[in-house]
Amino acid sequence: MDFRFSDDQLTLATSVRDYLSGTHGPEVLRHLDEAGPRDPAIWQGLVDMGLTGLLVPEAHGGLGMGLIEAALIAAECGRACLAEPLVDTAFVGVPWLLSQGQTDGLADVVAGTRKLAPAHAINPWVADGDGDALVSVDPLRKLTVRVERSRDTAAQGVSTSLDANGAGDDYLLNLGALMSAAQLVGLADAMLHQAVEYAKLRTQFGQPIGAFQGIKHQLASCSVAIEFAKPVVWRAAAALQDGLASAAAHVSHAKLAASDAAMLTAETAIQVHGAMGYTYEVDLHFWMKRSWALCGAWGDRAFHLKRIDDAVLGGSLPIGPEHTFA
Amino acid sequence: MKLGFSRADELFRAECADWLNGQMAGEFRDIKGITKLTASPERRKEWEQQLAAHKWSCIGWPEEWGGRNASLAHQVIFAEEYARAGVPGRVNHIGIELAGPTILAFGTDAQKQRFLPDIAAGKTIFCQGFSEPGAGSDLASVRTKARLEVVSGQEEWIVNGQKIWTSLAHISDWIFVVSRSEEGSKGPKGLTFLMMEIDQPGIEIRGITQINGDAEFNETFFTDARCPADSLIGAPGEGWKIAMGLLAFERGVSTLGQQMGFRNELDEIIAAAKANGAASDPLIRQRIAKAEIGLNLMRYGALRMLSQTDHSKIDGAALTYKIQWASWRRALGELAMDVLGQAGEVADGAEYEWDTLPNLFLYSRADTIYGGTNQIQRNLIAERGLGMPREPRGDV
Repeated sequence: MDFRFSDDQLTLATSVRDYLSGTHGPEVLRHLDEAGPRDPAIWQGLVDMGLTGLLVPEAHGGLGMGLIEAALIAAECGRACLAEPLVDTAFVGVPWLLSQGQTDGLADVVAGTRKLAPAHAINPWVADGDGDALVSVDPLRKLTVRVERSRDTAAQGVSTSLDANGAGDDYLLNLGALMSAAQLVGLADAMLHQAVEYAKLRTQFGQPIGAFQGIKHQLASCSVAIEFAKPVVWRAAAALQDGLASAAAHVSHAKLAASDAAMLTAETAIQVHGAMGYTYEVDLHFWMKRSWALCGAWGDRAFHLKRIDDAVLGGSLPIGPEHTFA
Repeated sequence: MKLGFSRADELFRAECADWLNGQMAGEFRDIKGITKLTASPERRKEWEQQLAAHKWSCIGWPEEWGGRNASLAHQVIFAEEYARAGVPGRVNHIGIELAGPTILAFGTDAQKQRFLPDIAAGKTIFCQGFSEPGAGSDLASVRTKARLEVVSGQEEWIVNGQKIWTSLAHISDWIFVVSRSEEGSKGPKGLTFLMMEIDQPGIEIRGITQINGDAEFNETFFTDARCPADSLIGAPGEGWKIAMGLLAFERGVSTLGQQMGFRNELDEIIAAAKANGAASDPLIRQRIAKAEIGLNLMRYGALRMLSQTDHSKIDGAALTYKIQWASWRRALGELAMDVLGQAGEVADGAEYEWDTLPNLFLYSRADTIYGGTNQIQRNLIAERGLGMPREPRGDV
C-alpha cells in the first residue's frame, strides 16, 4: 500500500494547475457568463499539454497514462472551475470508447478537434453536448437534452454525444462519477481557499474575522472533510484502473465523500463571506454552482448510498476480518 | 396555558381568508404566488393601498393610525391566512414592521402624524440604512457621517457615507439611516437615527445582483444628502438605542406569518417527493419528517414568545429564534434539491427564472446571514442570554 504520488504525477498536476491559474482565472468565467466569445487558446493550451490524449494509448498518439493521473488533473480542473469539456472528453469519454474497442477518431480527440459529450441513462441531460442549451444552474456548463442515438458530428469538429444504450453502462457511470468526485475535491479546495483568504482580509470588531473561533472552526471542519475525501477519490481511481470487483463501491464512496465535502465547503464559504458571498460580484458562486451541478450528475447521493448498502448487505462486497480494508 | 383559537378567532380567520382569497381570485390575481421580492413592484404598491383601503394593512396598530388595534391572536391569524392565500410578501414590510413601530414607540406626535398614516396607506415605502461595507456584523462601527448645518436660515442634517444591502431601496420613498453625528465617537456612542427622503440629488442607489440573479438589495451612497433638523428619531447620540429597539420588532408577529410561508414550501417539497418517487427513499422520508418536526418546534416556540405580555422578560428565549428558523430553512433548501434531483438544475424559462424550489435553495443561502449571521446569533444567545463573558472585540 502506497498512497504517494510519483514525482512525475505531481509535476504533471502542478503544471496543469499553473497553466489554469495563469490562463483561466475568474475573469474568464465572467467573460463567458456574459456570453463573450470563447478563447480557443485556452483549449489549445490543454491540447498542447497532451491532456486530451492523456488516456489515449501511445499507439494512437496519446500519452497512455491511467485514471490516477486523470483524477489528479480532474481535481485541478475543479479547482479552476474549468469551463472547457476536458474531463468529459478525455477522462470519461476516451476510456469508455477504449473499453468498447472503439479507437476510430481518437487521433482527432488527441488533436483537440473532437470533443466528447458522454450521455448516460442516469443523467437526464448531456453536459456540453450539441443541441440547444437548457438554462441550468451552472451558467458555464451547458446542458442539452439527451438523444437516444449517438450523433457523430466529428467531421464538423464539434461535440459528439456518446450514448451508452438505454439501461446504462456501469463502466461509463463509474468513470463519470469518479471524475465528478475528483473535480469536487478540487472545487472544495478552491472554495476553502477563497474563504480563508477572505477571513484573513475582512475585519470586524477591530480584527480579521478569521481570528474568531466562530469562523475558523467552521473552515477547519471543511478542511477535515476535504482532506478525508481526497484519499477516497484516489483509492477509487486506482480500483477502477485495476478493474477490481469492488471498484463500483469505491467510486460511490468517493462520490459521496467528495459531494459532502464540497457542499459543506460551499455552504460555509458563503457564510464566511457574509452577504458578499450571496452576491454575483464575488466569484465564489461559480464554484458553488458547479459543485451543486456535479453533486447531482452521474448518480445523486441516494443512488450512491444504495450502491454501497447493496454491496455491503447484498454480499457482493466481501466482508470479514480477512477482507478488512482490502 | 390555553392552546387553540376561540370560536370568535376562527370567525375572524374565515373573514381574513375570504377577503384575501377574493382579492387573489379577483382584481389582484396577477400577483398571486409571486415569491420574488422584486417582481411587479408597481402592482404590489397598489396592493399595499388596497390592503389599506380595507384596513388590513397594519391591523396591530392603534385605530387612530390606520390599524384595528387587533389582538396578538388576530395578528397571527391574519399573517397565517395572508401566507396561506399565496399573497406575495409586503413590499413595504420595512415600513409596516420596522419604521412604523419605531415611530410609534420613539417618535414625536408630529412624526407620528407625518408618517404613520402614509405608511399604513401604502403611500410611503421605507427601506433600512443600517449596514455599511465596513459595518456588517460589527454594526456599531458605522462611519456614515451626519452634521447639523444652517442652510438658508434653516437647520439641516448633511449626511455623507455609504450604506449597503439596503433591500428594495430602488422602489422606496424613505430610508432610515444610522449615522455618526459626534465627530471622533466610536462604537454605539455618538450615533443618530435619521429619516431621509430618497428622491434627492445627494442619494444615489445602485443594485447588487445576487447569486439567484435577482437584485433585491442595493448600495446607497450619500453625498451631502440632506434632511430637515427634526428628521431624527429620539435625541442626537441615541441612534444605537433606537436601532436596537427597532431590531426587537423584527422578532414580532411577522415571524408567524413567515412560518405559514415555510409550511407552503415544505408542502411543495412533499408534493414533489410524492410526484417523482423520492418519497419512497427512506432517507428523504426521514428528512421530511425532521423538517416537519422543526417547523412545529418553531411554531410553538414563537407562539410561546408572543404569548408573553412582559416583553422585557422574554429576551433569553427570543434570542434563539433567528438561528432556529434560518438554519431550518437552509436545510429545507438542501432537502428541496435532493428531492428534485437533477430536475432542480434546469430552469424552464429565461436565465434564473427558477421554479419555487430551486429559488428556495439559492435564497435560503442568505437566511443564515442577513439580520445577524448565525455566528452573531450564537454570540447573542451566549453573551446576552446566558451571561457568558464577551469575546474580545478590538478597541471598541
